Amino acid sequence: MSRSRDVFIVSNSTDELGGVTGWMHRTAHLFQEAGHRVHTVGIHAAERKMALPEPCGYPVTALYPSHPPTPWAPKGLRDRFRVPARRAEAARAARKRRAVERLSEIFRAARPGGVVIVSQVWAMEWVGEADTGGLRVIGMSHESYDYSRASHRYRWIRNHYPPLDHWLVLTEEDADKWAGDGMNNVGSMPNALAALPDVPSPRSGKSVASIGRLTDQKGIDMLLDTWALVAPQRPDWRLDVYGTGEDEADLRARCTALGLDSSVRWRGRTDDVPGALAASSVFVQSSRGEGFPLALLEAMASGLPCAAFDCAPGVREIVRDGEDGLLAPAGDIGALADRLLRLTGNPRMRDAMGDRARTGVQRFSEAETMERWEELFALLER
Amino acid sequence: MSTPDFSCVITAAEGGEEALAASVASVLDQSMRAVETLVVLPAGASAALRKAAGALEGRSPDNVLVLQPGSDSVASLRNAGLDAARGTYVLVLDVGERLQRHACRNLWQAGERTRADLVAGRWSRLTGDGTKEREPSWQHPLFLRSRTVARFTEAPGLAVHDALVTGFCLRRAALERHALRYDEDLTHSGVLFGPLAAAVVGRIALVRRRIVSGRAVPDAGRDLAGVVEAHRRVCHVLVAQGLAELREERDRAFLLDTVVPLVRTFPELPAAERDRITATAARVLPGCVPEPVLLGLPPVERVGVRLLERGDADGVLSAAYALRRRGAVAAPLSVADDGRVYWQGGPDPVLDVTGLGHQYRSFGELKLMNRLTRYEAGGGRVLLAGRLVLPAHTGPDPEGPLTAHLEFRVRDGSRAFRAPVDTLRPDATGISWSTRTDLTRLLRPLGPRDTVWDARMVVEDGRTRSVSDLFAAHDLVGPADTSPALPRLGRAAGDTWQPYVTLRDHLALRLEARRRPARTARRLVHYATHFRPARRARLLSRALRRRWDRLHARGFKVSVYRTWLLRLPVRRGSVVFESHMGTCYGDSPRAVHEEVRARGLRLRCVWSYADSPDGFPADAALVRRWSWRYLWALARAEYWVDNQGFPQHLDKPSGTTYLQTWHGSAYKRMGFDETRVRMQNAPQRERLQQAVNRFDHFLVRSEHDERTLARAYRLPGETLLRTGYPRNDVLLAARARDEAEGRLPRPPLAAVLGLPDHRKVVLYAPTFRGGPGKRKRQRLPLDAARFAERFGDTYTLLVRAHYLEAASLPACPPGTVVDVSGHHDVSELLALTDVLVTDYSSIMFDYALLDRPIVLFAPDLDAYAAERGSYFDLREKAPGPVTATEEELFAVLSRLKTADTGFQEQRAAFAAEFGHYDRGDAARAVVDTVFARHTAPSRTVPTGEAGR
Repeated sequence: MSRSRDVFIVSNSTDELGGVTGWMHRTAHLFQEAGHRVHTVGIHAAERKMALPEPCGYPVTALYPSHPPTPWAPKGLRDRFRVPARRAEAARAARKRRAVERLSEIFRAARPGGVVIVSQVWAMEWVGEADTGGLRVIGMSHESYDYSRASHRYRWIRNHYPPLDHWLVLTEEDADKWAGDGMNNVGSMPNALAALPDVPSPRSGKSVASIGRLTDQKGIDMLLDTWALVAPQRPDWRLDVYGTGEDEADLRARCTALGLDSSVRWRGRTDDVPGALAASSVFVQSSRGEGFPLALLEAMASGLPCAAFDCAPGVREIVRDGEDGLLAPAGDIGALADRLLRLTGNPRMRDAMGDRARTGVQRFSEAETMERWEELFALLER
Repeated sequence: MSTPDFSCVITAAEGGEEALAASVASVLDQSMRAVETLVVLPAGASAALRKAAGALEGRSPDNVLVLQPGSDSVASLRNAGLDAARGTYVLVLDVGERLQRHACRNLWQAGERTRADLVAGRWSRLTGDGTKEREPSWQHPLFLRSRTVARFTEAPGLAVHDALVTGFCLRRAALERHALRYDEDLTHSGVLFGPLAAAVVGRIALVRRRIVSGRAVPDAGRDLAGVVEAHRRVCHVLVAQGLAELREERDRAFLLDTVVPLVRTFPELPAAERDRITATAARVLPGCVPEPVLLGLPPVERVGVRLLERGDADGVLSAAYALRRRGAVAAPLSVADDGRVYWQGGPDPVLDVTGLGHQYRSFGELKLMNRLTRYEAGGGRVLLAGRLVLPAHTGPDPEGPLTAHLEFRVRDGSRAFRAPVDTLRPDATGISWSTRTDLTRLLRPLGPRDTVWDARMVVEDGRTRSVSDLFAAHDLVGPADTSPALPRLGRAAGDTWQPYVTLRDHLALRLEARRRPARTARRLVHYATHFRPARRARLLSRALRRRWDRLHARGFKVSVYRTWLLRLPVRRGSVVFESHMGTCYGDSPRAVHEEVRARGLRLRCVWSYADSPDGFPADAALVRRWSWRYLWALARAEYWVDNQGFPQHLDKPSGTTYLQTWHGSAYKRMGFDETRVRMQNAPQRERLQQAVNRFDHFLVRSEHDERTLARAYRLPGETLLRTGYPRNDVLLAARARDEAEGRLPRPPLAAVLGLPDHRKVVLYAPTFRGGPGKRKRQRLPLDAARFAERFGDTYTLLVRAHYLEAASLPACPPGTVVDVSGHHDVSELLALTDVLVTDYSSIMFDYALLDRPIVLFAPDLDAYAAERGSYFDLREKAPGPVTATEEELFAVLSRLKTADTGFQEQRAAFAAEFGHYDRGDAARAVVDTVFARHTAPSRTVPTGEAGR
């Protein structure tokens, strides 16, 4: 039933190192495989580049060579007489008009039935002004409602997304929360699991794995506090922390202070995630905030049972508590330690949950997600 | 068009051309395209309606179809629409209802994904004045999450409330399979159709999306018989499905959603309409609502329903006033021999209004309803007559001189004019009064600004005075009841008094301009205040006002504090005290302050208060929290003394010493041990850490505090002062006195609170349950009224809500329950308390020092401990019996002596563990350590035992 369409994916950047850009290229690739004609657009090209698959096979356009300047408005009397600032602002506005015009040209080349996917709300500043006649525009927000609510993006979404045909958050629960705020055109679309490793982890190594940037959001400090409760009771188990980040030095110091040096291994950044997971038997996630965490998906695909803080709807949606993993109330270190003790102490439970996790997580497979996209395209055309 | 996805059936009504056009436009504007609209016209539709429908059809012939089935009941019109529908789903709209733009898409998506036969979403309706829209309050819990249910009983709200009157769609296949149609013998068939459909179809999906808006204001009075009949039929459906308990819920919801709102509208209805409705109600309501359901309603609501059922139009009007003005006595009350209080027309358990507590208040304290019965203007004088309601138990002193006067008070001002009331005829149930006044001479407003005057009456019996608004039904006064007016600025400022009834149902007078000079003057004034330069000036003044306000905003104050005030030199010997963020003069800062005063130290003491300086010491300088003087005092103080934390954003000046006395040992997890804090982001946690780093001294009472509080706030060991709490010195002194001379006589505070010696004093002090930013009046977990009923003779209950919350107490006999939440010093209260009842409050750690009985009343102990986390198992270490229900608590209190004997040892152990450092000299020790520089050596050693 699916027919070939023109699909435009617009993000903040074409090649910035980050989750959404990665998502954009992966999704573009999948659409391409499904027979659609894809064009990815970034508002700007980034300075810190990510490695793109070469060659892409689809056009990649950046509207600006680098991050565009932010708008300026005079505040107070003195600002009104700042000629250079006014001229810079005029130049910025002119540059923006040209960028919008270029975007409109790209959109005009589409055949009927084309779709524009705006993966980040900031890009709406341009897409909103561009000519999208005859196209369906789908917005996206790659974070949980609560996380948006706490940031300026809440207002941006409230301003930019209501006139769109449809816009998507990561889970149905988030969508309901947005609907409660009067956004009736919201739906949900989960992130897809990239690949299922051929062989699940043997779950034989006495190791608990954690994968994530070493930043405050990932809550590794809480993980160390948790491990301080677990380690005395599981002296033969190790905690493997994969990832790097700005907080690494602090965290290592804290680890030493807690006397955990012998049982925590700092593994640094890894490119072989399935390999790292294969050496572990349990996965732990102690984040303060998440959207739809890919790390959990990958761990479950490797057949690891997970213990995680129930910090976002995305986590609840991936891990079905008690069935293919164990959730702890967000921030409750005692509870997370208890879940880890249960998982590390009971090999049969570990195996049962790990197997169920590997099966269950396939509902987020790329095929399933593509089908949901096709359904959505069909719905928007009805 | 091939098979459309949706068919929307819209019935048209006479005179509703615009509403019809709006509804059809909302369907045509759907984001989903394959939607057909079926407009069904009643038989004998007027030419205008036909034309409007024809125009809609002509504009989009593919999508709009006009049907004329030749009948005129709404049900048969809808059925005709359903017969003609071709869509996969059908959706029925009432006149004027509008579909939200993405409604069909949302319903379709849910229906296709879940394969449900019925998909329901939220809808909103117009409010009373027709300008705003609101969703019914019960919709929120029903649509909290989008979900799919296999049977409607899993979402009982669908049938309990009228949720399925609009905003839902049905799969047409299911409609045909079950031959679902509207009942043509019902006038409100829509009420029945939804629940009936929900009961027979299979799966139901609920989507948390707004589907329909603009539903008309419910008007149950127009066809009460039809509404009741529809409700009755829904109940039959529920009973037929074997769902008796749902039927009971539906009955209750019917009363609260339909009948009580109808009662509330009574003051706005004309008298004839009120009579018609009550006559209908007397015919159709009896037997419709089971007695137990009626008894389950709140008192005034059930009185309103019962009087409506009895056909008592005047009584319903009184009940409506009582509903619209909570706390007012709207009808004579009678007190039966057993002490129960009945509304006029009792004794009937439904009319029992004892729970309102009117019987505990006397003539001067009660809000009495004064109903205006006549208002006749003519011949320059106005005749006003009315009746003031009196409950049976109280009234003006029969011996005293009974006088009354009318008072007209300017709106939002204090100026008033008085006129004596000519005749007063008191009887057993009220006072009838009448008077003639010359409004023209009496009321002399200036003219332009003071145009609205509210009327009220003051009755005096020589000692007490009772003030009452003049209530009136909205049709009592009309445009004809005007009187001439004579403002001080002359007739050009206004020439006519127009009486009217306000939205709050009382009489008011408005100065109007009817004749040419006044109208011209008004126009001139209006022009002068509204032409362009005036508007400019107003905008400018508003902008200046905003600027000015910004100068008083906290953000600005903080920045000035940081950049400028912090550079000020420290003023030697100045101390800023604050207790519980300025809400009280109490706790340890007070004890420290009193010690400073007793020792005669030459310190300049400044106290911060939050709202009112009442109760704060007169000899200290007082500054309002967050005022400029407060910031100035903080920036220059040599010492900060506080028990909770000065505002986080205010940095401590470099030369200042901060004494943090803290406000209690911890049971629940605090600071960085709290899950809420742990989940905060790094800047927020850093801010807390910065705030805590300001502490130079932190008081602890035991090793428990060092293990918990000190660790939770990451306080270095050298800041800890192991002295115990200065606030507890009073308690240890009280205990010494108990042991030496006994409990009686009580401290003088007992006389102030009116506590008799023969009743023991129980203090109920529950802990804080809200989170940050929440300041709602909470219901207490303990039912104080039941307590008073059970123990009124033996105990007096003092209730102390947490300092961040306020309790709402039920009405209780005087002297049995006393709200002491506003009292400044808890220690004083503890010293005169015989039994403490609490849950997790840190007050128990202090009270244990007195060695008097403690009963823990913790209905949600496990849930609380799980949610907040705790430092120890309360059941294991409890200083007294732990009770989970009110019955258990009452059982313990009724045999307190025996219950307590088993706990004396445990209590002693508890006091020793948590109050190890409390020895009764904490204030002195703290002052010696912290203010060492200012304690003159000659005075520091007053007696032998001092000095740590």
